[in-house]
Amino acid sequence: MTQRDFLAQIEELVEAPPGSLKGPEPLSGLERWDSLAVVGFIAMVDEKLELTLSAQKIAAAKTVNELVALVGGRLSLDAA
Amino acid sequence: MAVSKVSGVRLAGIASAVPDHKHHFSELAGTFGSEEVKKISDSTGVVERYLVPPGMCTSDLAYAAAEKLLAELGWERSTVDAVILVSQTLDYVLPATACTLQHRLGLSKGCAAFDVGLGCSGYVYGLWLASTLVAGGGLRRVLLLAGDCSSTTASPEDRSVAMLFGDAATATALERGDGPPMTFVLGTDGGGRDHLIIPASACRVPRTAETATRTAREGGNLRSDQELYMNGAEIFTFTLREVPPLMKAVLAESGTTVESTDAFVFHQANKFMLDHLAKRMKLPVEKVPVVLARYGNTSSASIPLAMTDALGPRLSAQRQRLLLAGFGVGYSWGAVALECGPMAMPEVVRVPDEAILEGWEAPAS
Repeated sequence: MTQRDFLAQIEELVEAPPGSLKGPEPLSGLERWDSLAVVGFIAMVDEKLELTLSAQKIAAAKTVNELVALVGGRLSLDAA
Repeated sequence: MAVSKVSGVRLAGIASAVPDHKHHFSELAGTFGSEEVKKISDSTGVVERYLVPPGMCTSDLAYAAAEKLLAELGWERSTVDAVILVSQTLDYVLPATACTLQHRLGLSKGCAAFDVGLGCSGYVYGLWLASTLVAGGGLRRVLLLAGDCSSTTASPEDRSVAMLFGDAATATALERGDGPPMTFVLGTDGGGRDHLIIPASACRVPRTAETATRTAREGGNLRSDQELYMNGAEIFTFTLREVPPLMKAVLAESGTTVESTDAFVFHQANKFMLDHLAKRMKLPVEKVPVVLARYGNTSSASIPLAMTDALGPRLSAQRQRLLLAGFGVGYSWGAVALECGPMAMPEVVRVPDEAILEGWEAPAS
């Protein structure tokens, strides 16, 4: 999964238009980043990256980039 | 890891009871908006549930389930040597509600009775206790009652819990018998205390006017400290961390496989989590009953209620290899691989308001 794929998964969870999330967006500004989205995010990372994230670390993330940082090592490079 | 193999016990039957008041998720559209309640229902899988009317308690439901089961089995009451109630919504903390049920059910005074304070894992723990009392304790017959009225603990203004819980109680009859052993694997992590809790529920946080007052919490949810708090994200990660190893352990210890198991009956916490777990553990979807749509999350009753609702006809006619797993509040978890059936599996009992036991009255001074 590339970083773009990862952002696309988050876009789907928060019902944002495809391609609209770049990274610096504060999570507090995403209306649909609610408790259901967080659970969906945990499930998506578990299924697609085989990683069980810490709920505390997710709660501490302030921006989309900080969510990316939680899984950073597992993402492959985006196509140039 | 606590592993326990129990032989010489058979399940004679299961009966489940719900209050005769069906509710639909749309009833909460007024509080949260119709789009929001649909979204929550789609995720949790809860469409309808049965809720107790004011005054109806867990023991009223447990009594109805027990009466139904005893009638089906034709058991002589004096042959029941123990009655265990698994519940976290007791009629009374003191005396034990199981004692009041011994009296109401007309069981003998030679019967042992006690409560067990567990929820999601409670049925598996209850089966473990009841079966070891028969196998190792010399008891002839044990009545295991398990249920909760969790709806009474959830704030109707807290979207994380308001639509999730249903009320139910069940009765399971165990007696001496032949057959392969039941294999239990149990575990606990009390570090999860704060993620699924009613803070002011007993001695540690005394009840005051303050703890009874609802205040705004995360996400605008309104809740008091005498009401249930659940951190969905923490509980989900706990489930992903502990349940797959639990399943692996119970299959290994019992010498069974996914292929040799007829059904996996999980505690019915929420559909999203169950679907994800089944996918993660590569369990065929048709082997994982999900009854949340009709009953909601019924806590300690959810596993036996799922057996009644989804597997009743099968279990009343033939032998089945089952794997039951409960996990949640505590954190506490347990799984059992067992064979059961054919056995008494009556249909779900709907308990009318007339069945409510009259309340307590202060003695005349």
